[in-house]
Amino acid sequence: MIRRRTVRRRGAFFCTVALSMAAALPLLPVPAGAQQSDRAREFGKKVRCMCGGCNDTASTCFHVGGAFSGPCETAKATLKTIDQRLLKGDSEDLILQSFVQQYGPIVYVEPPHSGFGQIAWAMPVVYLVVGSGLVALIISRWRKRPIHAMPVASGVSAEMIARARQRVARETED
Amino acid sequence: MATCGLIFIATFSLVYLFFSDSYWVAYVVAHSNRDLATFYKIAALWSGQEGSLLFWSFLLAIYVFSALFAYRNKNGELMPYVGVVLAGVQIFFLTLNNFVASPFKVLATPGANGALEIFTRADGNGLTPLLQYPEMVIHPPNLYSGYTGFTIPFAFALGALLARYPGEKWIHLTRKWTMIAWCFQTAGVLLGAHWAYAVLGWGGYWGWDPVENASLLPWLTGTAFLHSVMMQEKRGMMKVWNVWLVFLTFMLCILGTTLTRSGIVSSVHAFAQSSIGNWFVGFLALILVVCFVAYVKNRDYLKSENQLDAIVSRESSFLFNNLILLVSCVAVLSGTLFPVFSEWLSGSRISVGAPFFNKVNIPIGLLLLFLTGVGPLLAWRKTSADSLKRNFGWPSLFSLAMGVIVFALGFHEFYSLICLVLCVFVATTILMEFYRGARVIRARSGASFASSAVDLTMRNTRRYGGYIVHMGMVLIFVGLAGAAFNKDVQKEMQIGSTIQIGRYNLLLQSFESKPEKNYTAERMVVEVMRDNKPLMMLYPERRFFQTNQESGTMVAIYSTLRDDLYVVYAGQSPETQTPVIHAYLNPLVKWIWLGGAIVVLGTIVTLLPNRRSVLVFSTAEQPAKALPISAGLTPSATLREGHD
Repeated sequence: MIRRRTVRRRGAFFCTVALSMAAALPLLPVPAGAQQSDRAREFGKKVRCMCGGCNDTASTCFHVGGAFSGPCETAKATLKTIDQRLLKGDSEDLILQSFVQQYGPIVYVEPPHSGFGQIAWAMPVVYLVVGSGLVALIISRWRKRPIHAMPVASGVSAEMIARARQRVARETED
Repeated sequence: MATCGLIFIATFSLVYLFFSDSYWVAYVVAHSNRDLATFYKIAALWSGQEGSLLFWSFLLAIYVFSALFAYRNKNGELMPYVGVVLAGVQIFFLTLNNFVASPFKVLATPGANGALEIFTRADGNGLTPLLQYPEMVIHPPNLYSGYTGFTIPFAFALGALLARYPGEKWIHLTRKWTMIAWCFQTAGVLLGAHWAYAVLGWGGYWGWDPVENASLLPWLTGTAFLHSVMMQEKRGMMKVWNVWLVFLTFMLCILGTTLTRSGIVSSVHAFAQSSIGNWFVGFLALILVVCFVAYVKNRDYLKSENQLDAIVSRESSFLFNNLILLVSCVAVLSGTLFPVFSEWLSGSRISVGAPFFNKVNIPIGLLLLFLTGVGPLLAWRKTSADSLKRNFGWPSLFSLAMGVIVFALGFHEFYSLICLVLCVFVATTILMEFYRGARVIRARSGASFASSAVDLTMRNTRRYGGYIVHMGMVLIFVGLAGAAFNKDVQKEMQIGSTIQIGRYNLLLQSFESKPEKNYTAERMVVEVMRDNKPLMMLYPERRFFQTNQESGTMVAIYSTLRDDLYVVYAGQSPETQTPVIHAYLNPLVKWIWLGGAIVVLGTIVTLLPNRRSVLVFSTAEQPAKALPISAGLTPSATLREGHD
């Protein structure tokens, strides 16, 4: 019993240490250069390119603009700003908010989960719920319908329909 | 016929003007130049607003002529109505060609006497670099053939409704036309995706751009229609739904081109903003009103005849299939238009980008994939528990076992894991269907398994062609599942330096600038090594086109079934002037293109006529061959109707 408790304590200790180390990882000094740029490019996927000619993110913007450019100049400038601010130690939230202040909510690559943006997220769920309801209603109505009851329009007899069907079959034979 | 002939003359005249470097025509000046490769002078036809509308009219004319010619002596009561609808659509596009966006405007200035004088430019502005890629010569014609092709089922549906034509006749008549249009649309969408992948250089193939979405919308409703028509053919159900699905598909084709041409939404693919969008909006409104009035006046002819016997049945699966496709369609449409609506209603534009569409459509797609496996194996009317066990027992077990193995191997991405499990499930159900049928044929004929499978397919092309299409979709989903594991790395490269991505090492051997006829190329010469052994050379480059002062990317791709090594020359560093390489490792992408090819192949198979059964007389010594064709067939191959 005592041994089991000791093992549990040790486990808890190691878990705490491991979690603390994992949590502290972002605080460790990051080598300058490539790794920061990678982080900037990763974060740039959350910010829309504001050139006005595309729907890409700052990181994935690759439409051609100007001589031998990769991403357009706007996207490059955005990535540079992100890179510099990350190097300064600004948090991603802070950087994102500064872009929102500068450009408005359009800078988000996906609608925000607040305000009017919530409607965008709710819409697909509403479609699915309403659609499923309609399908359920249709199924229930079809289930209740008497077998072979064929409602026909006024002036069209079942015999006429049968004759039309025969003709259809004849004319559409391959 | 005369209309078709005149549109042909107009279209080939424009092509001739491109080939003859007629730089007195504004459209030719805007989209071509003397050094443009002959190949791309054809693509220049549809590279601008005016030419693409003429090309639309050209394809529409081919469809209209073919349909009217094919049924010239048949369906006397229906064809006049169909003809009127087709003529109405054609008149709209010809109005645009002649009075709104003519590609034949000439360059002219007022002369000394006040009269306009035509002048000729020495050279044109050139074709935009993005379009100077081989796929641009085949992608737009495919997509446009899809868009215009849906006019035929639309005209037959509306014509049948207006003519109060009873029964499923219009569906029988238009099935092949719909399949052809759907096939072109599928090929067009996938070629567009491949073009985006190979040209834009961002490492992806689908960015949920409004114009991409516009091409997907009619495909979704068209797919729903191809499935739901079976309900009407087999059971006389969903008549209203089918008519409206065709109407909707056609309207989405028009809406797609409205979005592309009006400038309502921003897109790299869109044509220049112009007032032509108003014409399309007006046309769309007119179509909606005509369809609605025709429906209200004639809806008595669209009542369903049968009842639903059981919830677990083919009928239910089609209902859910349609539900999922429609939900996806409406979700994509509303997401595409949401920025516009948010600006109208809240005053600030909220953008809806790829992450939103992915989050919404991935679960929907997986549900659809599941139904792809389940639907075709459910029986019409009612499916028994035994049948469920027989058809889905092994596929379920096998796919779950594969899921466990793959998970144990470290494949922990949730959606990708589910996707792969479902792919295995659906593929197993399809292969079992082929296996069961082919086994019976092989037992009777003694032919090889492969030729028995071909024989089986040719006996019921619609059913087994459908299975092939489904198998193609499975492969596409396998490819999509790989996207969760994409990697990329970017680095400034000195000559001789290396960069590693996955199992590949890239060594920059040289960097050169090379003038070509129509552009100057900056090219990296990259040696690819796998597991430290030389594998191949790649040449990613950027092309600078002097004529229009624009540049284009030429991505270098080494593609295998396992992954794509995708290498982009990302320009020179502004500080050090050293070339920058951006390498991506995209797993399983090749499966998407492979799946697309199989979808097209399957669609072609469904269009083939069934091979008729031949009676074989045998002697008493060969009793096995004298058995009736159904003898020995498993219930799944004979009693249950399949995907037809």
